[in-house]
Amino acid sequence: MGVATTRGAAQARKVRGSRKLAFRVLPVVELAALVSLVAAPFVLAERAALVTLMTNIVILSLFAISFDLCWGFSGIMSFGQALFFGAAGYVVALVGRDLDFSQLLGTLPLAMLIGGLLSAALAAFLLLGRKTPTSIFVAFGTLTGAYAAERLVSGWHYVGAGNGLSSIKLMAFGGFEFVEGAAFYSVALAALVLVYAASRVLVRSQLGLVLAGMRQNEERLAFFGYRVQVFKAIVFIFAGMIAGLSGALYSYHQGFTGPSNLGPGLSTTAVIYCLFGGSGTLIGPVLGTVAIELLSYVLADTDAIRQFWPVILGVVLLVVVMFQPTGLLGLIVSARERIGSFGVRRGAR
Amino acid sequence: MNGTDRARGMGRRRFLSGAGALTAAGWIAGFAGGWVLRPRWAHAAGPIKMGIATDITGAIAPSGNANWQVAQFAVEQINAAGGILGQPIELYLEDTASDPKIAVGNVRKLIQERKVDVVLGGITSAMRQAIKDPIVNRGRTLYIYPQLYEGQECTKFLFNTGPSPAQQCDRLIPYIMKTLGKKRFAMPSANYVWPQLLNKYARKVIEANGGEVVFEEYYPLDQAEYSATISKIKDGKVDCVFNTIIPPGLQPFVKQLYESGFQKNGGVLSCVYYDENLLNYHPANEMEGLISCLDYFQAVNDPFSQTLQQGYAKKFPDTKYLFTAGSAATGMYRGVKFYEEAVKATGGKLGREEVAAALDHAVLSEGPGGGAAMVPGHYHAKMNMYIAVCKSEAGKTRYDVIDKADMVDPREC
Repeated sequence: MGVATTRGAAQARKVRGSRKLAFRVLPVVELAALVSLVAAPFVLAERAALVTLMTNIVILSLFAISFDLCWGFSGIMSFGQALFFGAAGYVVALVGRDLDFSQLLGTLPLAMLIGGLLSAALAAFLLLGRKTPTSIFVAFGTLTGAYAAERLVSGWHYVGAGNGLSSIKLMAFGGFEFVEGAAFYSVALAALVLVYAASRVLVRSQLGLVLAGMRQNEERLAFFGYRVQVFKAIVFIFAGMIAGLSGALYSYHQGFTGPSNLGPGLSTTAVIYCLFGGSGTLIGPVLGTVAIELLSYVLADTDAIRQFWPVILGVVLLVVVMFQPTGLLGLIVSARERIGSFGVRRGAR
Repeated sequence: MNGTDRARGMGRRRFLSGAGALTAAGWIAGFAGGWVLRPRWAHAAGPIKMGIATDITGAIAPSGNANWQVAQFAVEQINAAGGILGQPIELYLEDTASDPKIAVGNVRKLIQERKVDVVLGGITSAMRQAIKDPIVNRGRTLYIYPQLYEGQECTKFLFNTGPSPAQQCDRLIPYIMKTLGKKRFAMPSANYVWPQLLNKYARKVIEANGGEVVFEEYYPLDQAEYSATISKIKDGKVDCVFNTIIPPGLQPFVKQLYESGFQKNGGVLSCVYYDENLLNYHPANEMEGLISCLDYFQAVNDPFSQTLQQGYAKKFPDTKYLFTAGSAATGMYRGVKFYEEAVKATGGKLGREEVAAALDHAVLSEGPGGGAAMVPGHYHAKMNMYIAVCKSEAGKTRYDVIDKADMVDPREC
């Protein structure tokens, strides 16, 4: 940690000095990702199943970002992201079933509220206690939360118990109903772009600078007088809202939600997306989600390895995580750029 | 016993020997994803595309694989006889992996990518409920559900070819009460919709016949510890356990019930989805005396059924996945044949409306356990029902058929 701190600080100084000269790869990657995602439905217009797949990928990217905000940016090992994801998914399904309401302008903010409230409750318990929690405590706390939620809904008649909820009312905007396809994809992509932009502002703001400091040396920041846990809680709640949004879109898109959407299994999936793509950046989790989902789609459909494709996928993931700890993104983006610069630019030009 | 691991092991073995069987039969497995079984001749109108969505992997893989094999068997028979009015059937498989979350995505592949004309499959009710919306509503495709189930599925374009609670309970429960003299029932159940609604119906029949339900309880599907349940069975002087726990919770429950000496002390275990395939899940001694009621047992003495079994055994020699009723395999056979009848009636038209209209009153003169007939306007089929008791001898189990009822009405919708 100590070494990393000085190195990080030196890098930060260098970045400040050489900002004008250095060629930045990250914006290029981001732009390329945006262009490909926007172009996808036009390129794939003939292949409805692939548009469906891409919609799923975009929705899960949101979910991966929500985890990365916790882990990559604030050092909270959250195994509870699926809890916010799944709970919001159940709520929009129930609102559709019992209140016959599925207007996205109402339900998507509601989903974010649910995610936000649940993460706030969990944060109050796990992060804002009298004693400073260890990262193990937080990891197990969130894991337990997700596990308990999964057990709870799988025994609860009102929410369909082991069956989950199916035939979810279609998401609507006015009189228009979204089945899977280009229209749904546009909504999901718009959500991703908005969330991405908001997160980018957040992590590059002064608050983001505090987070970066915390990642390097939390104790030192605390001695400076920062209430470290409060900053963590803020990010955790923001991430919870994003997970909620993602969960609601996922439920609407699949037309189904079940107990496994709430559990540790899905939470771990978010961890893998993030580590595979490159944690500590916002585009990393998106790339990770795209790579893993496309890879599993192709592998699962290859007859020769039909019975054991998950093993192959697992080996690939293992190799990347072991030998490329900065993820796929680390192959093309330098450490300096991943850490980045903060705050408002002054006198840059 | 670890049901999942076992199932996977068998899946792989089955895969290898299955691949051999396919080549022998002249099928060509596709390379472009999913399992594709293509017929050997082409037709101007193109093939009829039939999608099978079933559990090839996961907790109920033994049943799912039986379904898939029966579908291949039935389709091959039809193609060997020249297809449906000359049009061959092309068969597509997607694995629903015993997990509704995965299933939804895979079923969409059948519909959006393969553009199948009909989907057959789904075993548990959880699975049916998860995939019916992507098939029938969003996918605008015909759906045939082959498994015995809880009833009340009256969705347009969704046809049920397995038995309903009325078909399973109306004869069985009075038999247990009057002939076997059991009066105190326990209903340990998995917590999902099939047990809930089946129990509701069974309770009505039990109470109408003067019996008593001592308890009706629901457990998570993967519960492994049942000592509290077992002691309630003892304390409540239960003499018939009407079980609706399913795998993976099933194996530990049956084991613990057996070890408590329930059967030894004269108790009867009844389980209406139990067939010859389910014996794969348990040691033989735990099965002695189990009583079940289904639309077919291998012991049924019917020449056509026996020909079917011989054909199936020839196509899949030494298979672990049997052609039986409780695993939805008979429903699958019926589903394929009903579809054939319906397309014959439309003169080869494959539109969903036309085929559904014809399916509505399709009749099969023969099938496993006898013929069957859709009840017009009710989305369910009349069929023969049999009561059977399991006997175990020298580590082997078999069913003895003790009662038959002809063309029982499903009383649904």
